[in-house]
Amino acid sequence: MSAKPIATTRSATGIPTGRLAVWWLLASEVVIFGGLLGSYIMHRVGHPEWAEAAAHTQVWFGAFNTLVLLTSSFTAVLAHQAAESGQGKKAAKFLVMTMGGALTFLLVKSIEWTIEISHGYTITTNTFWSFYYTAAGLHGLHVIAGAIIMGFIAVDAWRGRELQRVELIGIYWHFVDLVWIFLFPLLYIAK
Amino acid sequence: MSEHEQLNERDRAQVEERHEHGAEHYRKVYLTLLVLLVLSVAGPFLGIVWVTLITAFGIALVKANLVIQNFMHLRWEKRLVKWVLISSLVLMALFVAGVAPDVMRHEGQNWVNVAAADAVDRGIEDEHAEEEEHAEEGTAVTVADPDVFDAVGQFNLICATCHGSAGDGNGAAGAVLDPRPANFTDPAFWETRDDERIKTAIRDGGAAVGGSPLMAPWGVLFDDAQLDALVEYLKAFRPAGQ
Repeated sequence: MSAKPIATTRSATGIPTGRLAVWWLLASEVVIFGGLLGSYIMHRVGHPEWAEAAAHTQVWFGAFNTLVLLTSSFTAVLAHQAAESGQGKKAAKFLVMTMGGALTFLLVKSIEWTIEISHGYTITTNTFWSFYYTAAGLHGLHVIAGAIIMGFIAVDAWRGRELQRVELIGIYWHFVDLVWIFLFPLLYIAK
Repeated sequence: MSEHEQLNERDRAQVEERHEHGAEHYRKVYLTLLVLLVLSVAGPFLGIVWVTLITAFGIALVKANLVIQNFMHLRWEKRLVKWVLISSLVLMALFVAGVAPDVMRHEGQNWVNVAAADAVDRGIEDEHAEEEEHAEEGTAVTVADPDVFDAVGQFNLICATCHGSAGDGNGAAGAVLDPRPANFTDPAFWETRDDERIKTAIRDGGAAVGGSPLMAPWGVLFDDAQLDALVEYLKAFRPAGQ
């Protein structure tokens, strides 16, 4: 424990440094996703014909994936609660459940995209589909990245190490959930 | 007491406060989120535009707030974090506000975005072609049942935004348009119009009949019979003796 990096314990702001760093990361993510979704909304308003393209997205796939991500957010917050009370093994179990949510999400997404691509709707079909694949794809990359990091943290948590990191991946994961909460109505419901 | 110990003190108080609510609190938030999800999926089935907008985007905001405050613990977080996130949102809003006028409209006082306007036209043509294809295959896709088409309701929902529900061209969104939206109560309007011209203007836009390009094409929303019904309703605004 003596070799711990100083950033783990030092804090000039009253916020643990790691958690402050996650918030800074999310602040940059807000601008990335906000810019992308803002552009999509503006184009959508200027292009009434996109309604026709949007009618081809599958509401039930989107709704099911929203359910999956909300549930995985719930298990992520339970993992954090377990970690706070020092129960590393319990936290690790909840993190693995959250990863299960991530995998389910990606599986559903890949089935959905396969159907759409085989119907001829690809990223180059028109600007609506370009936005659709870019926004959902960038979000999907965040899901993949989150699940991988969660795996490392779950292994540590299982051994009772670095439990504060469970909260950090949780905050990131809730953000990924948050982005989907906006993507769902934008891509699937507004027709 | 060192800075670090103070921090731990505060953190511990925070953690204890959260644990009072505990798993039960998180479960309540989760169940609320699920109920909101069901509402946001069910809303659009009513087929009412404003209900869809509220259930889709209003509920998304409520859900987002629940997740941020409770799962991300922002309500227990220090003020600094809130300012960091608000700065990001402000930057995003600045970006959107800066480019919105150019992206959302395809023409202004001294400019026209020909490519974007063409893309809209092309898209709508493709859609008609697709509908015809469907009709030939015997799986007709009709926008709405003409028997229950409510011309007055549609006029008040769509046209009245600019033309006003009294048809006098004084709708809320019409105030900023130049040229002004047509005034259906003006005898001069009816001197130069016949049914076919009005129908074409509604279907293909004002520019298609040499009128104001700000009159958008609505052909996507209405089929032929519905356009006729709208033209009939417009005649109700015609001053007596014309």
